[in-house]
Order: sequence, then structure tokens, then C-alpha cells
Amino acid sequence: MTSLLGHPAGGEGIGYSFSQPTAAPVKQHGFYPYTDNGGSTLGITGSDFAILAGDTRSTSGYNINSRMVPKVFKIGGDDETGEGAHIVLSVVGFAADGNALKERLDAVVKMYKYQHGKPMSVSACAQRLSTILYQKRFFPYYVTAILSGLDEEGKGALYSYDPVGSYEREQCRAAGAAASLIMPFLDNQVNFKNQYIPGSGEGHALEQKKAEPLPQATVEQLVRDAFTSAVERHIEVGDHLQMMIITRDGIQEVFHPLKKD
Amino acid sequence: MPGFDFSNYNRNAALHARGVPLPKATSTGTTIVGCIYDNGVVIAADTRATSGPIVADKNCEKLHYIAPKIWCAGAGTAADTEFTTALISSNVELHSLSTGRDPRVITCMTMLKQHLFRYQGHIGAYLVVAGVDPTGVGLYTVHAHGSTDKLPYVTMGSGSLAAMSVFESMWKPDLDKAGAVELCAEAIKAGIFNDLGSGSNVDVCVIENDKPTQLMRNYERPNERGQKERNYRFPRGTTAVLNQKIITKEDMKKYVTIETLSGDSNLAGDMDVDS
Amino acid sequence: MDKLVAQYSRPQHQNEFYSEQEQQDLTESVPPLSLKFALPPVDNHASFLRAMTDDLANPSCPIKLAHGTTTLAFRFQGGIIVCTDSRATAGNWIASQTVKKVIPVSRLSRGEDKPTNEPTPGLLGTMAGGAADCQYWLRYLSQQCTLHEIRHKRRITVAAASKILANLTYAYKGYGLSMGTMLAGVTPQEGPALYYIDSDGTRLPGNLFCVGSGQTFAYGVLDANYKYEMSEEEALALGRRAILAAMHRDAYSGGFINLYHVKEEGWVHHGFDDMNPIFWKTKLDNGEFSNVTSAL
Repeated sequence: MTSLLGHPAGGEGIGYSFSQPTAAPVKQHGFYPYTDNGGSTLGITGSDFAILAGDTRSTSGYNINSRMVPKVFKIGGDDETGEGAHIVLSVVGFAADGNALKERLDAVVKMYKYQHGKPMSVSACAQRLSTILYQKRFFPYYVTAILSGLDEEGKGALYSYDPVGSYEREQCRAAGAAASLIMPFLDNQVNFKNQYIPGSGEGHALEQKKAEPLPQATVEQLVRDAFTSAVERHIEVGDHLQMMIITRDGIQEVFHPLKKD
Repeated sequence: MPGFDFSNYNRNAALHARGVPLPKATSTGTTIVGCIYDNGVVIAADTRATSGPIVADKNCEKLHYIAPKIWCAGAGTAADTEFTTALISSNVELHSLSTGRDPRVITCMTMLKQHLFRYQGHIGAYLVVAGVDPTGVGLYTVHAHGSTDKLPYVTMGSGSLAAMSVFESMWKPDLDKAGAVELCAEAIKAGIFNDLGSGSNVDVCVIENDKPTQLMRNYERPNERGQKERNYRFPRGTTAVLNQKIITKEDMKKYVTIETLSGDSNLAGDMDVDS
Repeated sequence: MDKLVAQYSRPQHQNEFYSEQEQQDLTESVPPLSLKFALPPVDNHASFLRAMTDDLANPSCPIKLAHGTTTLAFRFQGGIIVCTDSRATAGNWIASQTVKKVIPVSRLSRGEDKPTNEPTPGLLGTMAGGAADCQYWLRYLSQQCTLHEIRHKRRITVAAASKILANLTYAYKGYGLSMGTMLAGVTPQEGPALYYIDSDGTRLPGNLFCVGSGQTFAYGVLDANYKYEMSEEEALALGRRAILAAMHRDAYSGGFINLYHVKEEGWVHHGFDDMNPIFWKTKLDNGEFSNVTSAL
């Protein structure tokens, strides 16, 4: 029996007399199947809309792979254009895993529609995405996903995920390379964290500013400001901003230029 | 004792072995270039300094003064390029004073390589040295380990490949000044747009025979930041205050002691060097 | 050699499309909470997973998973108090401040937080450790409990439910799951019952548990003030105070205090409240936390 290992298998080996290595050489994992493709995504919801946005730069190391690789996808649409979709998914991290995840969820949502004769609700889709991610608990998808749409009451819905499928419904969420730059901005400008109502009281009686759903125009401005600021300070974010605006009338996709340096 | 202080070396090595990460040095993941022309030499640099993936400085200066007609573009660890060039600048000045001649580019390059070689690459300075001297025009690259090159056009830093591709496709012999400046700016822009470590603006320095050196800070600004769409001024009183205390100018005085020194007029006299 | 041959002799193009199993998964109308997991193509997948995701031993790992933190539950004469913080961290990053770490288990209690104070029947589970592990396996447990209800026409006991979870975690021992969970419920057979189950396969019944990185701080408060004969008000206040202590001292705990009371008719939610005003109220009204001052 031929052994392809560095040392002969017990007993069967050719009996060289010189000493065997005392311990089997430590086998290092040469298996590294992930690349970080950089970029950032961001989602904010309002009372009757949701916005998911992402930059379109794809990087590896100090190189730019492409200036136009969208990270935000329509899920469950009729054809290549995504016509008729009502759910949007953004994935950031390792683009290949992100693409595989998007394809998978898209197939699931389509099958659901064909089998049940009705579109999948966003909450059901959110739960299904969680199980899809968890199926790879021991070989994770290297992605941070955000799922968005309108809930049964027509309100904006947004679900954020970790790489293995823990999820939560939120008002806003930033993910990816510049998450640590954008998320504090969102906490302050969307949920009004650390903001108090001037003159509402003295000392501990001072009232906190209450978070309320923002109008669509304001949210669009916040998204663009968040990205133009992230581009200033994070090298992996730039080129174009892709925004998906989900309303009762459907999904509108817009692109804005960002700095390219 | 002069030189570096190694007293924390063993402690830091032990901490690092236990998994404590090293502090991040600001590195100018950079594009720097240089190009000679008929009557002088041009060097240029981008203006981005990074710390990991974060932009630490959007408009830093990577062109360093060595002597009036010798300038240096630096890539690598920001502090190392800054201090190495400052040290050599000082030594070049002393050398020129003691010899009574204008400093030469090759002298400066030799001092740099000998200094860097002594530290075996631990001083992370990657430099482009350029200037004019009585022997003519000089343009060199100096690597952190001490090796050097002498070429008509050079690039260094993380954007060196992008910049070199511009030189290799557009450079021709017998360039004039305008052509050399334009070519260098174009090479830096290739780095700014295609290398993530480089960005923001183009700085150019032209060193010419019989003319004063021209440092063109922000020669091109291809990456202006757009206007923010919303106003982020907070009304007064937005931040919660638990307690406040006002220190007046009068209160400050109790932290300051004033002592009158004995008026030794010799002290001032000794300091007077240039009379 | 045979192993090597087997590894490389597959029908051509086998992996190019969705496999039969995958097609079935896609077409099945009910998404299966199945026990089939994708594994990396390496010999030792546990150490692969550790290299990719374990952020304690490997702070620079590429995949940072969300972790949960301080949770507590204790039995007293009026039932069981369950209380948690709401922070999720991934490395040093606060991934979320609004995590619901108390998860209702079994179908009857799936109705989310209703504004009424009517008790909702069913068990409560808490999550500490990997957020995804807890969410997924408590959902799986929910499914099993519902099936139990349908098959046997009566609600599952806490002992049986906890055993389903413990058997599961024991089966996956060494795979790298990370969860420390408590199951609380009141059933006619057992009365108020509380179990602790973790990813090592441990399953313990008990009166009082704290789980997570802030557990020691919560134990400190709880052990000093816990009495079985407490009134409902006292018990709720103690639960809240113990979590507050942990949120104050443990950097990985914080956010909101999530408080539940489990009694015979079911569980009642007693609020999801920002810790900050509660902290200052505790300090100023009771004179506690006197080491914190706002003096200049």
C-alpha cells in the first residue's frame, strides 16, 4: 500500500532503520477559501418605505477588481431585470459567497411563489434566510446580509444578519468595511441616540429625543451623506452608490457617483 | 545616549508573542514618482496617509526638503520617512558647510543608504531622491534595506506599478519641463485612482538648473469633496450635562507660580551665535 | 489510496447544478430545520471553524460572530423570574444594543409581545453565547415542543424540553457550537421548573442560574439578596438589579433590561427598558453605585 503521507503508515511502511519523526508533523490548514472584497452597505426604513444602499467597488488588498459590482439585489423577481420583486437583499464581505447566497434565496422565493400562488412575505423570507445561513454553520458564508421590504402593514421592514444567521428586525443598519464609521452616525441621526430636547428639563430630568420614522427625502439625504463621508475615510469604499428604494409602487434603483480615489 | 531607545523591545516582543497586537504605524501606502528632463528633475507624490484601511490624513505632504536643490519623496512608514530625511538634511547641511561646496545628490543618496542599511530594513523608509548639483541632474530611489537605483524615471510605493505603467507607455527621451511635470502628474493620478493606498491630491516639485526650486503643493486636486446634503449642527442644549464648572482667568492663576530668576546677563550673551 | 481515489472519482459535472438533495430542499414547501449541515472539505472541520471564527483565541479571525452576554433566571415562591441584557458583541464591536435574548419556546407562545398583561402560555428560553446557535436551536426546540403538543395533546414538561436540547448539544459536542441557555416554565406535572443547558451537553435543574460574561456580577447581587419567599415585586426588582450590576461592570453587557415573569398561567413581559435612566434612578434614589459621581 503506497502512502502519500510524509511518514509511512503504522506497520505497513518500508522498514527504514533510521529514527521516525517522534511526533507527526503538525498539519497546518492551507485551506483559506475566503477573500474580503471590501465595500459597505446600509439600510434605513421609514413608515411606508425602505432604502437599501451599497457602494459598487470590489477590492482585494490594495487593488480594485471592479468599479461596478452591485451588492444590492432584488429577490424573487420574474427575470434578469428583477421585475415584480418586492424584497431586496444586500450582501457584503466575500462576493462569491454573497452571490451564492443571493442565488439561493432568489430560487427559494421564486419556488415559494410558484407553489403557493402568492408572493413570500418579508418576515417569512427573513426567517428562511436565517436557516439558509445556518445550514452553513460549520463552513460559514463570509457575508453580512441585510434584507429589506415592506411588511404586512405596508411599513418598511429591515432585517440584519450575522454570517451564521442570527437576525433581528431593526430601523437601520450599516454593514461591511465602513460599518464602524457609518453605524454611529445612524444611531445619532436616525435613532437620535445621545440627543436630548433642549430646555426640556434640568440635569436628569432632561428628556431624550424620541426616534420617529423619518420622511423618505431625509433618509435619501442621510444615505448619500453617510456614503460620501465613508468614502473620505475608508479606502475600500467608493466609485458608485447603488440605492434601492422600496415603496408600495415597487422598487426604484438609482445610482450616484462617488469619489474614485 | 544618542540613537534609538530599545528598553521596551523585550517587553513588546513578549506581549506580541502572547497575542497582543502591535500598534499600527501610519503608513503612507503611497505613489511617488520622479522623472528627469533636459534641464532639471521633477518629483511628485499623492497626499493620502493610511492606517490600515482608514485614511489617516487626506492631504499630507510627502515631498521633503533636504537642501535647497535636493528634495526627497517618501513612501513607507510616515514617521521613518520624515525623520530619516530630516536627519540626512541636517547632515547634508553640515557637510556642505564644512566643505564649502553645494551639496550633491549622490552624497545625500549615499548617506541615506548607509543609514538605512545599518538598520537592516527596520526603518521603513522608501525614498525617491532628486536634485541638481554642480555635476548635473540626479534622480535615485533608495529602498529601506539600503539598495539604490539610478534611472531617468522612477516610481515607488504601493502605487508604483500603476504609475510605472504610465511612464512605460508615455515616457520619451528629451522631455521639456512642462512635459515632465505633466507626465509625473499623470503617473501619480494613475496611482491615486487605481491603488487604494494612494489618493486625494497631486504634489509636484520641480528642481531646475539656475532657477529656484518650485514646490507646487496640490498641483492638481482631482478629488474634491462634494457638499453635504444635510445640516449637522445641533441646537445648543442637545447634549446632556450633569454638572458644570467654570474656571475663570483669575482661578487659573492659582495653578501658576511665578518665580523671578536672577538676572545673569551672561546667559543671553552665550546664546548669541550670529553676530 | 482508496480514500484518495474515492475522493477524486466523482461523476463529471456532478457539482455543477443543484444536487437532488438541494433541489428537494428548494421545492419542499416547509423549510426544513434539518440536521444536515454543509461541512468544509478538510479533515478537521472543527479546527477549520475555530481558525475562521473563534475570536477569543484568534482576535484577527476573518468572521466575527455575534455573541450574547448576561442572562439570569431564578425560581421563587411566585414562579420564575427571567432577566437579560440586550447587547450583542462581535469582537470589540457592539453589533447590537436591541437583541431580544429571551425567546418564547413552543407554538402557543409565539404571539409576540402583546400590549396586554395577559399571561402567554409556554416556556421561555434565554440566549447566551453564539446568537445564531441560540436562535436556531431554540427555534428547533420550539418545533419539537409543538410536535409534542400535537402528538400527546398536552404541553411538554420543562424536563423533557430541556432534555431534547441537551441531547442535541451533546450530539454536536466538539463541532464548535457555543450556547449557554436556560429553560423556564411552569407545568402541572412539575410546578415551576428551571434548567440550564449548554453546548458541552450539560443539563442541570436548579433554583438560580446566571449565564454569560457578566454572570459573576449578577451572581454577586443575587446571592446576597435572594430568598425563595420573596414577593413578586421584590423578585422583579432583584432580577432587574442583578442585571443592572452586570451591565454596569461588564463591558460586553449593556443596552436594555429585558424582564419576564413565568407563572402558572404562562409568562408575562415586564418591559424592555433602557438601562441608563434605571441606573441613575437606582443611584440617586437608593444611594447605590456611590463610586460613580458627576462631580468635577
